[in-house]
Amino acid sequence: MRAAGRLAQAAAGLLAVWLLASCSVVEKGTGVLAGAGKISESDRQAIVKTSSAVRSTFSDITEEEEYYIGRGVAALVLAQFPVYHNDVLTRYVNTLGQSVAAFSGRPETYAGYHFAVLDSGEINALAAPGGFIFVTRGLLRRCTNEEMLAAVLAHEIGHVAAKHGLQSIKKSRLIDAFKVIGQQAAERYGPEQLSQLTAIFEGALGDVVDTLILRGYDRKYEYEADELGVKYSVAAGFAPRGLPDFLKILVGVGGTEQGKGWFKTHPSAADRLERANSAVATAGAAAKVLAARTQRFQRNTKGV
Amino acid sequence: MKQRIPLIAALGLLALFATLALAETLIVKVQSTNLRKTPKFYGAVVQALKSGDKLEKVTSQPDGWIQVKTAGGAVGWIHTSAVDVQKFNLLAVGGGLKTQASASEVALAGKGFNKQVEESYRAKHKDANFAEVDRMLLLKVAAAQLEEFMKQGHLGDWRGAK
Repeated sequence: MRAAGRLAQAAAGLLAVWLLASCSVVEKGTGVLAGAGKISESDRQAIVKTSSAVRSTFSDITEEEEYYIGRGVAALVLAQFPVYHNDVLTRYVNTLGQSVAAFSGRPETYAGYHFAVLDSGEINALAAPGGFIFVTRGLLRRCTNEEMLAAVLAHEIGHVAAKHGLQSIKKSRLIDAFKVIGQQAAERYGPEQLSQLTAIFEGALGDVVDTLILRGYDRKYEYEADELGVKYSVAAGFAPRGLPDFLKILVGVGGTEQGKGWFKTHPSAADRLERANSAVATAGAAAKVLAARTQRFQRNTKGV
Repeated sequence: MKQRIPLIAALGLLALFATLALAETLIVKVQSTNLRKTPKFYGAVVQALKSGDKLEKVTSQPDGWIQVKTAGGAVGWIHTSAVDVQKFNLLAVGGGLKTQASASEVALAGKGFNKQVEESYRAKHKDANFAEVDRMLLLKVAAAQLEEFMKQGHLGDWRGAK
């Protein structure tokens, strides 16, 4: 009982200190609530004054910053791989991708998900932070139905939702960036800070692009993206077999393809297949491959 | 047993104030989105929202959808991935030491890696293909098109349809 009494005293004491400290904050908070629906300059200053949590990891990267990193990564991917311009196909891949994204763990990003087909014969799919997603013509040629493509797009959306791309940026770079950004009070950066930030930005894009195109993610991220891929496509209503069926096709691909694209940057298709099968078994979904979906897949990917 | 009452009261108050201090004000963190009539991505839109707009939480669902009220009084649904909960750090009141900015400050001020940094990067990297990136951004799938696609493919709400 005595212990409980001491605890009560401690809690009451803590509460008192906290209340003293929080009055002005709550006032400012209500000011925000009572506003006209926009952040006014005084609201902004109030929040800036009262919020002291500092940034230290990839999870502190804001939505808008992720968008700019994603744009840069996408621009570098597109410098290496030309876009396959086919309006019918591009619209189909985008609509399919949006159908899956809507049922993902992160349906909204700063500027939304956008998909492009790359004019490359290698079997590859990539996702830049923020939701810029690429699939190659080579990959599309290997898919035989909509479930498979939906599963590949869902895997890439999984990388975006779990922020795997941002996690490939070196921690020291982020700490440097946060320091420079935090010191800047004015609206625009001065020349020195801008040049420091640009160098860090350049390094960060390099970290992500190298991971996407050369090194590949840590395999645990790929398995996670596979699991998320199955989960999201099943949530959208696709047959759960899409991913394992596609991986089965990859297992059978040999020869010169082996050192390129997904084969170079991903764990072996056989390893992934085993795990994907167990993910499908636990998904417990009964949806079947639907003829109407397979037909529109064939119609839209004709000649790819 | 008597001593339990102040303990419970203190903890209760603490919980109450924690809730109040972290008042459920949500800030839109994506560039643009919609306040929707129902908790889904297709169907009727109540009004357009943009980055920085403030919303008051009404209720939330385990699937990630939150019912909110705008400052103008409009009620609708938004997905949790589009908003940040505005938190106030109580320990910082009174001018505590602070040499860095928090994520919410940076987001509100549009600082960090932003357009200015991209422009500076682009000036040095003419090879980076930003033109194609901008082209990707132009393609938008309207809610009605998404709905039609899902209906036709027996997906989402139409799964298992005959």
